[in-house]
Amino acid sequence: MTVFKAYIKVLLKSKFTILLYTVMLVVFGILNMQMNDTGMNYTSSKADVLIINDDENKGVTKSLIDYISSNSNIIEIENDKEKISDALFYRDVNFIINIPKNFRTDFLEGKNPQIEIQRTNDYPSYLAYNLLSKYIETAGYYLEFINDENQIIKNTEETLKTNTNVEISSKLDNDGLSKAKTFFNFSNYTMLSGCIFIICLLMTVFNNEKISKRTIISSTNYKALNRKLMISNGLFAITLWLIYVILSFIILRKQMLSFHGLLYIINLFVFTLTTLSISFLLGKITNNKEAINGMVNVIALGSSFLCGSFVPIEYLPKFVVNIAHLLPSYWFIISNGKISTLESFNFETLKPILFNMTILIIFIIIFTIISNIITKYKRKIA
Amino acid sequence: MKKIVEVKELTKEYKNLKAVNNLSFEVEKGEILGLLGPNGSGKSTTINCILALLNYQKGLIKIFDKPMTPEAYDIKRKIGVIFQDVAVFDELNVYDNIDYFCGLYVSDKQTRKKYVNDAIKLVGLEDFEKFLPKQLSGGLLRRLNIACGIAHKPELIILDEPTVAVDPQSRNNILSGIKKLRDTGATIIYTTHYMEEVEILCDRIIILDKGSVIAQGTIDELKRLAKIEEKVTVEVTDLEEKYVHKISTFKNVESVSYTGTLLLITYKKGKNNLLELMDYLKSEGIKYNKIFSERPSLNDVFLELTGKELRD
Repeated sequence: MTVFKAYIKVLLKSKFTILLYTVMLVVFGILNMQMNDTGMNYTSSKADVLIINDDENKGVTKSLIDYISSNSNIIEIENDKEKISDALFYRDVNFIINIPKNFRTDFLEGKNPQIEIQRTNDYPSYLAYNLLSKYIETAGYYLEFINDENQIIKNTEETLKTNTNVEISSKLDNDGLSKAKTFFNFSNYTMLSGCIFIICLLMTVFNNEKISKRTIISSTNYKALNRKLMISNGLFAITLWLIYVILSFIILRKQMLSFHGLLYIINLFVFTLTTLSISFLLGKITNNKEAINGMVNVIALGSSFLCGSFVPIEYLPKFVVNIAHLLPSYWFIISNGKISTLESFNFETLKPILFNMTILIIFIIIFTIISNIITKYKRKIA
Repeated sequence: MKKIVEVKELTKEYKNLKAVNNLSFEVEKGEILGLLGPNGSGKSTTINCILALLNYQKGLIKIFDKPMTPEAYDIKRKIGVIFQDVAVFDELNVYDNIDYFCGLYVSDKQTRKKYVNDAIKLVGLEDFEKFLPKQLSGGLLRRLNIACGIAHKPELIILDEPTVAVDPQSRNNILSGIKKLRDTGATIIYTTHYMEEVEILCDRIIILDKGSVIAQGTIDELKRLAKIEEKVTVEVTDLEEKYVHKISTFKNVESVSYTGTLLLITYKKGKNNLLELMDYLKSEGIKYNKIFSERPSLNDVFLELTGKELRD
């Protein structure tokens, strides 16, 4: 009890640091959730298109222009090469269609006239390209069977008007689960920072060479005392986990009261234990209080950036993601992503998450073994 | 008398250095044993071996009649150690620090509370209980260090140079605290390189040099090892060589030296020497500022035995 009492007293000296990381989790977690609103809300979008028509505006040509115009934002730019080039560069326009002279007659004669296009290579430009291709292919199809231009235009326009209703059958609260994912992904940083900072600080205090010497000569078994320290560290990490769980219930009540919520909590628990083993290892390595801040920055910030805690992992370059595989945070964050898209719960669907948790447990075992080797090595030197 | 500590033929070697060489001594119940020697003489190594903090190549160490090992927790329970370096938690206040270290020995809360209060009283930190170590002066910090080492009321107390870099007032306080501990029945091993401290404090002294015992005994026994019985120092200016020469021919004079303004005369025997010298100086009309007589110190013994000063 003496050790635990002293541990609590030393810990309370750092209460502002713990509070700081908790406030960071709440503030940045909520901010991130609002910024990353990645729910399944669909809105139609139109490309900005410039049409340069060198042909007569009638017949198939007119029909094509009307079709493109009704499905895009038509941009008016002076027919000047430099101005058109600038508009494309500054994304004032996504797609430029240059209809050549005699397009209508050549098309009707089956000469397959080429339409010159310029594009920005982004999503709206693909949209405009699709419109153009769809019209030419449909009209071309009718040209094979019908000779009358008006009939071709009529059939083409009717075909292109046909719509299909798409129904999304998912019952998932995608928006809410995505917010929960963002919250738990951000907890990667605060959990790592909080645990590493506090546990390393306490370890340096209790493992101070002079204090250790006094402890070794006392009638308290040194191994038992180390065990008590480990248990105290474990209790601290679990308390931090509990605080984060309570916070998640306050912020994301609906999502947390589901099986998804339970999985998020279990995943965070396994990651908390991994963080504890990392912190314990680092605490064994360092005896310098000044070095702790540096370690927090390198490990917590570094792995949070590399593993997609701040920026979704999909946006990270491939080589960064490859490196991230070596870090526990990656497996924690990947699991959060998988939990947010789980439609049903059975062994098959949970297998990838259980696999990631197993990898985290392997990390715990590795870090604990290294810590024990270091402890034995240090004891030998003494 | 009951033997509390027995060290037999202790040898501790580092790669190319014999830090302790075939050292044997005993400490009896209730005595204060001084381990005196210059820096590097093997005092701290001996203490670390006694406390099983260091392995040693040869020898036997028994404390309370049992072999001392790192796992001898029943023996450790009765030992209190105060190291040269202050070893306390910066984050805990005076009371909590003493309570923590006392708690490593005493689990009963009520007993511990009493012991902690007794220790605070003993070292005179009653007014600083709620102070953090960084708020204490160097002397008060040393007192806290001592309180942390003795709060569990050990029967054997080992103090390893506890007064290094301490101001004279705090040093006196520490020394009187150690005397109080002895009065409560504790046996004390005190290592230092300050000969004045062992002269004030210790019942018996072991003088170490290069890891070996060069002399041991009571202060009187050790002083008898020095060839001189009295030292007379005279502060005098412009003393001619003929007077120095004349003084060297006096009865019992062992040596005479005159450097700067100090005339130092050592005598083999110590009776009426000062009177004879003062009569002579008066008869020759030699005026002096100060004249004083001293008994030989432990430094003289050390000088006699090793040919060098204790604080070389």
